[in-house]
Amino acid sequence: MNETDKRAELQADMHLWVDKLNYRIEGTQVLNEVSLGVEEGDFVGLIGPNGCGKSTLLKNIYKTYKPEKDAVFISGKDVLSMPPREMAKEVAVMAQENSIEFDMEVLDMVMYGRYAHRKFFEGEKKSDVELCRRYIREVGLAGYEQRSYLSLSGGEKQRVLLARALVQESGLIVLDEPTNHLDVRFQYLIMQTLKNQKVTVFSSIHDLNIAAMYCDKIFLMDKGKIVERGTPQEVITEENIEKIFGVHSQVTTNSITGKIQVYYLPDER
Amino acid sequence: MLIAAICALIAVATCFSVSIGAVKIYPADIFKIIVNKTSGQEVFACTWEANTETIIWNIRLPRILLAGIVGAGLSVCGVLMQALTKNSLADPYVLGISSGASAGAVCAIIVGCFDFMGGYSTIFGATLGAVLSISLSLAIASLKGKITSTQLVLAGIATSALFSALTNLLIYGYHTGSDKTKTAQFWMVGSLSGASWSKAKYVAIVFAVAIVLIMLFARDLDMLLLGDDVAESLGVNTRRIKMVIILSATVLTGVVVSVSGVIGFIGLVVPHIVRSIVGSRHKALIPAVILSGGLFTMLADALSRVIAAPQELPIGIISALIGAPFFLYLIRTSRTR
Repeated sequence: MNETDKRAELQADMHLWVDKLNYRIEGTQVLNEVSLGVEEGDFVGLIGPNGCGKSTLLKNIYKTYKPEKDAVFISGKDVLSMPPREMAKEVAVMAQENSIEFDMEVLDMVMYGRYAHRKFFEGEKKSDVELCRRYIREVGLAGYEQRSYLSLSGGEKQRVLLARALVQESGLIVLDEPTNHLDVRFQYLIMQTLKNQKVTVFSSIHDLNIAAMYCDKIFLMDKGKIVERGTPQEVITEENIEKIFGVHSQVTTNSITGKIQVYYLPDER
Repeated sequence: MLIAAICALIAVATCFSVSIGAVKIYPADIFKIIVNKTSGQEVFACTWEANTETIIWNIRLPRILLAGIVGAGLSVCGVLMQALTKNSLADPYVLGISSGASAGAVCAIIVGCFDFMGGYSTIFGATLGAVLSISLSLAIASLKGKITSTQLVLAGIATSALFSALTNLLIYGYHTGSDKTKTAQFWMVGSLSGASWSKAKYVAIVFAVAIVLIMLFARDLDMLLLGDDVAESLGVNTRRIKMVIILSATVLTGVVVSVSGVIGFIGLVVPHIVRSIVGSRHKALIPAVILSGGLFTMLADALSRVIAAPQELPIGIISALIGAPFFLYLIRTSRTR
């Protein structure tokens, strides 16, 4: 099979398929020929040091940045060819929290996730409200429906945004460091909630131990390129951590979870 | 409940506003005259002087109606600008759009450069001025695609200074009449003294069309408050909703300014107060803002007629006296970003 056919097949098979994506910001090559595929139902992590291009890659996928033509495909379709509504049915996004100026109720905030499924003149359907309440419960915020969003703590806001992404009921969820700034309990709660869904997950993850615990596959990025790909065991190694992050470490297998565990070591030993 | 209360207040304000003025008129007569006029028949026997009827029907009523629509229109424009910029400091006056519309209207009237539009030349000029000023203002205000409060206020200052200067230049340089100062004052500070049924009618029509259009997109407006990127990723066609906002806000500002000059701060004060009561869902916010904006402006106009009686203050002075301290308060309390 020649190269072109193989790519065409991958593009059709993969839930998310990125093909030789380049992206420049003010003359700097932030993404350099990035190619990756995410299979349906997989939980895939994207790791790498600060400034390696993780966010830029994700923003190209959910079109906050305009990607090149024929570079990003979701369910075999070029994202550039999809109007916003169709795109929102295919992929739900949980970006890093952005500040909003005007307040709203938690239930309204989650309800916005149903926008793409509602017709232009359609009012709020009962089934939609129930779905929203269900996911609000699922992220552990039952009873918060009428609370004001701006009054919530960072962890609660993140969980509202997760609920909003889930009510979109799209097959693919893309997340940009969803556990950032959260304390341990909410980090695990968010990842576990995601893991319980029957969706494909592609997420950048800051914490290597969290990545190792939940991901089926991991992409390691450095300087705008994917440098390693594979299972957590294959990618999160002492050599890679030393090479890419510049930190000494010890990587072991946890006796309870069977997952790998990273310990960072000080320089002077 | 709230809406009913505001409607009742509007009715009271209308009666009050009609009855005050140089010529004293009894409320009962007012009611009778209005009933006679609207029904087209002589339901009540005519017990008043003929000029009373003229004063009420041809001078005071259209003025009150116009005050209501102008206030409602400016308040709605404020809401739209706030959704567009995600900033509660935005309104047509602060962003300099009113000044742009004013300059456009003056240009149409004095230079006559839009005469090919016939009777619509003033509105056309005002709308064009609004479009130019909004483009300029937003271009300066957005820094790397983000609009910060500081940038927004600075952009507004620069834009209104530029267009106010243009307005004055046109009036003092090209206006042939002898009442230059008065004309300039009308366009700079705003006044409702030139109200008539025909003005009230065309503003009302444009206003109604704009409101219908906006209400169709109420949900999109809600979601735009989340930020353009977030709204887009949830499925909102942000380019379309922004076009709707800019189109309706500029036309509405243009039309309102063409009949009332630059009345400041209404679009800032009214939405802020209403938001704190009904929240930011546009389906509830816009009707509430229309009613309270109308009420606020009717009261301000009534005040402008009594405060220095028998002289009349331009309403812009009243709105600025209330609005400017409020603006300062908002600057102090708005989330620093």
